[in-house]
Amino acid sequence: MTALRAWINERLGWDKIWQAIFERRIPEAKGPVAWLYTLGSALLFVFLVQIITGALLGMNYVPSPDHAHDSIRYIENEVLLGKFIRGLHHWGATLMVILVFLHMLRVYFMAAYKYPREATWLFGVGRFLVVMGLGFTGYLLPWDQKAYWATVVGVNIAGQAPVVGPYVAKVLMGGDAMGAATLTRFYALHVLVLPLTAALLIGVHLFLVIWHGISEVPRRVGKGERVL
Amino acid sequence: MENKLSDGQISRRSFLGWLIAGLGALIAAVLGGSGLGYFISPVFKRKEEGWVDVGPVKDFKSGVPAKIEFAARRRDAWVTTEHRASAWILTSNNRDFIAFDPRCTHLGCPYRWDDAKKQFLCPCHTAAFAIDGQVVSGPPPRPLDRYTTKVVGGRLFVQPLQAKA
Ligand code: FES
Repeated sequence: MTALRAWINERLGWDKIWQAIFERRIPEAKGPVAWLYTLGSALLFVFLVQIITGALLGMNYVPSPDHAHDSIRYIENEVLLGKFIRGLHHWGATLMVILVFLHMLRVYFMAAYKYPREATWLFGVGRFLVVMGLGFTGYLLPWDQKAYWATVVGVNIAGQAPVVGPYVAKVLMGGDAMGAATLTRFYALHVLVLPLTAALLIGVHLFLVIWHGISEVPRRVGKGERVL
Repeated sequence: MENKLSDGQISRRSFLGWLIAGLGALIAAVLGGSGLGYFISPVFKRKEEGWVDVGPVKDFKSGVPAKIEFAARRRDAWVTTEHRASAWILTSNNRDFIAFDPRCTHLGCPYRWDDAKKQFLCPCHTAAFAIDGQVVSGPPPRPLDRYTTKVVGGRLFVQPLQAKA
């Protein structure tokens, strides 16, 4: 065991990585406030679950108007644990949106976005947009009435933008109307473009979190004291 | 936090460490287990039965092979396709039925029933099969293939095989 550990260490420097990630110094937070510091790792965990369940769903899903819905029914009714895996992905998406909001609110209200963590914040904001994009593109994939019309509404909202609106709508739909090209386009965004972007942003974000360390819990300012 | 404790006592820190490891293992087992189950689910999938109703038994004349045509549904995961299929049906008492695959066992040509010779004749390489499907002459390597049949409520059902490679 120790020999294996040494072997791995010489090649990967695993102990140092472990130290940097799990044994770094973090500010002391007590009581309910400490829970606010768990939101980021919760997000990371849900993201991993989404990647895994998404990959599994991709094995049985077809992004084509004539089969999309049938393939989802197949997952629900015939694949072993299909309902559970799809449920995880579905609720994971919802949870992700909630968590990303709470996480941002925490960082905002604790002023953790300030110097020197502006870049961390910006990559986080990018991540927020990607989560929204994943939610929007994933919603269409079941290709049922609700999904279809919700996406029509979403596309119409984009279409309202001055000047560029109609072009944005056209690009989103992959044509003049919702159809086969819209579905494949959303699918590609949902499983290729956005997850890769997310992974990249998360990588940089996490690196910066470790690089700068986590900010302290803001203190209440005493009488006569001033904050910067 | 003080970590030095006498023998046999567990510190708060190591307790929490074990708790996290335990919960982590539980979550990993549930997620990993169901993910694995989903992934390998084809192993547990039962074969589709694919019975086709080909009509009431009284429509078949005993002693004379009849060629029937029917639409067979094939379910391939979420895709259901319908294709035309046929079979030669043979009965001697309208209770027990034999259904022959209409493809010659040599190279798959369709054969026909010759009423005068009382044989199935394949035009491709001049094979002849007896009424029970045995090879009488010609190149076929084995007797005619049979579809499974069953009679339910006075109707005949056959179970066409998929083409073998
Ligand atoms: S295919 Fe029937 S004899 Fe060759």
